[in-house]
Amino acid sequence: MAERPADERALVLAAQRGEREAFSALVRTHERRAYAVARAIVVNHEDAEDAVQEAFLHAYRALHRFLPDQAFGAWLHRIVANAALDITRRRKVRDADELPETVASPFRDPAESSELRQRLKDALDSLPPRQRAVIVLHDVEGFKHAEIGVTLGIPEGTARSDLHYARSHLREVLGSVRSEL
Amino acid sequence: MTNEFRGPELVRDDDLTRELRSIYEAPSDASWWAGFEQRINARIDAAIAADEWWTVPDRWLRVGLMAAGFAVIVAGAVIVRSQMQVSRSMAYQTIVDPATADLLEVAERGKLTEQQIRLRVLTGRH
Repeated sequence: MAERPADERALVLAAQRGEREAFSALVRTHERRAYAVARAIVVNHEDAEDAVQEAFLHAYRALHRFLPDQAFGAWLHRIVANAALDITRRRKVRDADELPETVASPFRDPAESSELRQRLKDALDSLPPRQRAVIVLHDVEGFKHAEIGVTLGIPEGTARSDLHYARSHLREVLGSVRSEL
Repeated sequence: MTNEFRGPELVRDDDLTRELRSIYEAPSDASWWAGFEQRINARIDAAIAADEWWTVPDRWLRVGLMAAGFAVIVAGAVIVRSQMQVSRSMAYQTIVDPATADLLEVAERGKLTEQQIRLRVLTGRH
């Protein structure tokens, strides 16, 4: 369950004083949403996990710069998005040299279960990372355009146009796959 | 299809949304999230430990810098002192050198000018 803002502020202040347990509580509160943000940007579950870990570590180290009156979630999401975009860029360079090898994970990606989903997943992978992030954050996670703008560091209007292009592209793919099946 | 509030171009495709949600479905297992939380905290703890490891050399660095500064001061004092000793011994040598002493005696008697004394000292001719 999410902490109430007052509790969260107290946790942030305690974490800033160096109380490690308080930061653990913040991790517990925000890990799911942070995972959703990361998963919207990267192409697989393992990278999302990596991005979230990296982001929490960065947040921990930068905590002294955070103003407790701000929304911790929004600040953290921005860090998560940056970490995820960084991983996406690094993976792009790495994949140019070698074929990606998926590490065994207890969590199975539901997209593997059907041809349609696999084709849609391929189409998602072919989208620019920002467009992919916008459509997933909006349509799957229920973020508003303004929240997406803050998380990804882009104007609200850009988020709207990205959503439009991403949807058009994916609808096209979905339509052609359905006509084939 | 569902029309959104802002602008006709942002038309949501419910089928597409459903498929996207199935692709991006987050792990639902509570134990997975508990494990994830532990992995995040373990990574932070490992980073803290690594940071602390680096602070030890910092402490030693300060001690090292102080020791190096002290060594420079001592070395400087030794050099200055040895130079003073060298110049003092040269001065003694000049005074006790019999040839120079003779010349000074002659000069005192007014037989040689200062220039002549210098010339004789340089040529070694007394």
